[in-house]
Amino acid sequence: MLEQIKQQIDRLKAKGVTYADARYYPFEESNQLFMQNGNLKNASSSRESGVGVRVLYKGAWGFSASSDLSDLPGLFDKAFENAKAAAERVTFPVRLAEKDAIQAQFASPCQINPFEVPLSEKVAFLKAMDERMNQPGVFLRNAYLTFMRKQIVFVDSEGSQIEKLITEVFAGLEVNGMDAQGVMHERKFRLGQMGKPTRGWESIDLDLFAANAERIVRELNELLVADDCPKEDRSVILLPGIMYLQTHETIGHALELDRILGYELAYAGGSFVTLDDFGKLRYGSDLLTVRADATVPNSPGSFGYDDDGVPCQNVTLIDKGILVGAITGRQMVEEANARAKKQIFQGSGGANRATAFYRVPIERMTNINIDPGNDGTLDDIVAKTERGIILDGDRSWSIGSNREQFHFATEIGWLVEDGRKTKVVKNATYKGFTLPFWNSLSAVGDESTWQLQFVENCGKGQPNQIMQLGHGIPICRFDNVRIGE
Amino acid sequence: MRDRILQTLRDLRAYALAKGYEVSIDYHEEESALMRFANSAISLNTSEHLIRLGVTAYDGRKRAGYDLITDLDKVDEMKMAIDTAAEMVQHAQPLAYQPTIPTFSESFADESNFDPALASLSSEEKLAYFNAAAQGLESDEIKLSGILSNGATTLAQINTRSEHTQYFRFSDAQATVVLSHLNLKWEVQSEQSAHTRSVLDPQPVHRDLAFLLDRYQREAPVSLPLGRYDIVFGQAAIADLLSMMQWIGFNGGSMKRGFSMLGEDKVGQKVFSEKITLSDDPSRPETFPFRRDLMGLPRGRFPLFEAGVFKGFAWFQDDADEFGVQPTGHTVMHKSLVMEGGEKDIPDLEALINMPRENDLLYIPFLHYMNIVNPSKGLVTASSRFGALYLKKDGSVAVPYNVRITQSLLDIFGEKVAWLSRQTLPYNTSMSYGARNPTAVIVPLFMCVKDLEISHSNTSY
Repeated sequence: MLEQIKQQIDRLKAKGVTYADARYYPFEESNQLFMQNGNLKNASSSRESGVGVRVLYKGAWGFSASSDLSDLPGLFDKAFENAKAAAERVTFPVRLAEKDAIQAQFASPCQINPFEVPLSEKVAFLKAMDERMNQPGVFLRNAYLTFMRKQIVFVDSEGSQIEKLITEVFAGLEVNGMDAQGVMHERKFRLGQMGKPTRGWESIDLDLFAANAERIVRELNELLVADDCPKEDRSVILLPGIMYLQTHETIGHALELDRILGYELAYAGGSFVTLDDFGKLRYGSDLLTVRADATVPNSPGSFGYDDDGVPCQNVTLIDKGILVGAITGRQMVEEANARAKKQIFQGSGGANRATAFYRVPIERMTNINIDPGNDGTLDDIVAKTERGIILDGDRSWSIGSNREQFHFATEIGWLVEDGRKTKVVKNATYKGFTLPFWNSLSAVGDESTWQLQFVENCGKGQPNQIMQLGHGIPICRFDNVRIGE
Repeated sequence: MRDRILQTLRDLRAYALAKGYEVSIDYHEEESALMRFANSAISLNTSEHLIRLGVTAYDGRKRAGYDLITDLDKVDEMKMAIDTAAEMVQHAQPLAYQPTIPTFSESFADESNFDPALASLSSEEKLAYFNAAAQGLESDEIKLSGILSNGATTLAQINTRSEHTQYFRFSDAQATVVLSHLNLKWEVQSEQSAHTRSVLDPQPVHRDLAFLLDRYQREAPVSLPLGRYDIVFGQAAIADLLSMMQWIGFNGGSMKRGFSMLGEDKVGQKVFSEKITLSDDPSRPETFPFRRDLMGLPRGRFPLFEAGVFKGFAWFQDDADEFGVQPTGHTVMHKSLVMEGGEKDIPDLEALINMPRENDLLYIPFLHYMNIVNPSKGLVTASSRFGALYLKKDGSVAVPYNVRITQSLLDIFGEKVAWLSRQTLPYNTSMSYGARNPTAVIVPLFMCVKDLEISHSNTSY
């Protein structure tokens, strides 16, 4: 198959295309299990294979994909035809940043292939967790396991050939309960990196999940008798269960270079960031340093090489509060530099990814991480907070179309008064404008508070694509934030 | 092609029966194409042809599924999918209830919603559509974005309980055309949904864009003070609100699990304004309707709210099985929601703007990134986007920076509803995550709701 694909690339090169690549998926498989109140509602697997072909011709992209590999010439011709049609309307001819021709392989760290674990063992895990969560106060309990494994062979007209084997494991627990007013509340636990070096079945740690099942049940019961979150301005202390999402929505998405350049305007929105802002914009306080680090050893945001064939990198996005970088692929850095009439970006940041063989690569977050700070543990931060609220758990999130403002609801809040955690509050929310919010960052927890959270379902693009990634974040405090609306 | 698909399914059924399996088999085929514009150029032009086979195996109260992307020549691979599902179900855990296995009492085929001319729109036709929609409107500062997605979706089903088959075929197109200011970061938008080629017409899109663009270029922007406003929601915003209501309003499973603003005691009660009538009506071809559900139940008009009175919950089969209620024919990939219009004759945006008004009106055509803050209370939050206007009672018009509303659906559709436009149109709500699933709802062009709070107001675009 590989030789046939290379022949087709050569054939199109001979016909005058500027560039062509193909992503051949010999297989992509998934396995999903979902148990609700003891019922195994979903036990399903899937398998797919196929080829996606991208062709650049006269400055325009064409793409085609199929699972039917019996007519490869037809598939490549369709991509070429699509590029020719697109070339009828070009305003900024696509150019690709330079890269080396790479022959390489990458495999996610995985000791036990989750697809070789018997279904009965997975069901037994869910059953054990379900029983653990089946406690007074819990009206609805959910436990899930999701496994993904895919082999991708990337070949391009510049001489690269990269083979990747990506394994993903996602797992989580959730309990819901109804308060005296008939309002439902929830607490969740999701598998993150948790200090594990690999991400196969071995990362499903029964003790870890059991301890967290106990915790979320206990916290849910505290929520059910809690007062409502007050409506006022306070310092907010974000735990990893919401800090990851704050980072995701108001830094990660805002710094995708295709979004900054207007390529998502018809759908997911734009970004308040402009090309003029790089090197100048004070995005946050000087406690804020953010990286797009795809070299973290164990995360869905680490994938060896992106779908442009560019090696994964550790790119600084915000350095001590100043915006210095973006999430980039080969096409967008060239366009950005040309539009800005200066070299903002030194080549691709290696962040162009596609969710499947039948989707085209676009800029996606890798691991958008915040450096740990020097403000100690949660207890240390609380001790230095006069009037605040600790927030955790994502319940709802909504962001302005240019990522300029946001509204989040969290699962739980704990009020802080005079340096002490006082009581639990329910229906907690907070909102703000992105730049003032990040500039109000007043404390960043140390390395002991830093956690890498996995994200399994980030949506973007048309046609839509779901992507897996990560966020390594410490506990952070922000001042003068409106809560309770 | 239909005969070949159905014969393949019959062969697979025979294979499953010979092995003693109890299975249902779903075939999904899509021919998808999408032209995407950004910065006044075609940024992407794609074609995908995908065939998915879904097998669900049953063993008493146990159930397991296996999905495959395949093609019709790969019969052995499809048989492997059946074997795998049958193997998996042996290791599944029994449900606490008996899942209903699809049993079709007769064969059913519906291709009335398939128009080959729409399914096979060429790149040239799509480019011509964009050129016409944006003709004369682009400039160095005003850039064209958007998509035109078109395609065909084929769904076929069989199971081991009966030899009958179900077959559905749709064509669809969705156009979104956006004009944005390169530096000021505002956008205006017009959209169109098509179930036949003849519906796809760039002229109304051009008219709306030209009108909005003129306003956005001419009027000074304003940051609205926080407070309460009479808000006119446009078609896209209404459709988005109804999409949320599907999950936290009249969905029976959500209600039983505590994620609904409506309880069983609300059936027969007036919960919304008497101006609100909403049904699931598969007789409307603009909604890409399922006239049978995927369990084989015939589907007719199903009233959800009539003059504000809640008529009943819609149930997926699995939820109905779990909670011991009668299924309502809602095991479908999408419903055919139809919200009736009202009394006001407002055929387009220009008419809305020229309409005499007693109060200032905030027109919000589109709600961005809506999310559910509290399902039990029906509380949702979202920002305005794409061409909002502030229509002052003195007849003048201002362009507001985006605002956020955080409100309960019970309020938005409740007694605060002032009026609805008589005119309705289909609004395309298709998502292209996963398998192609053309979806549209029919909604009034405008709905005015009094006294809603703006909780956040931008000070720039």
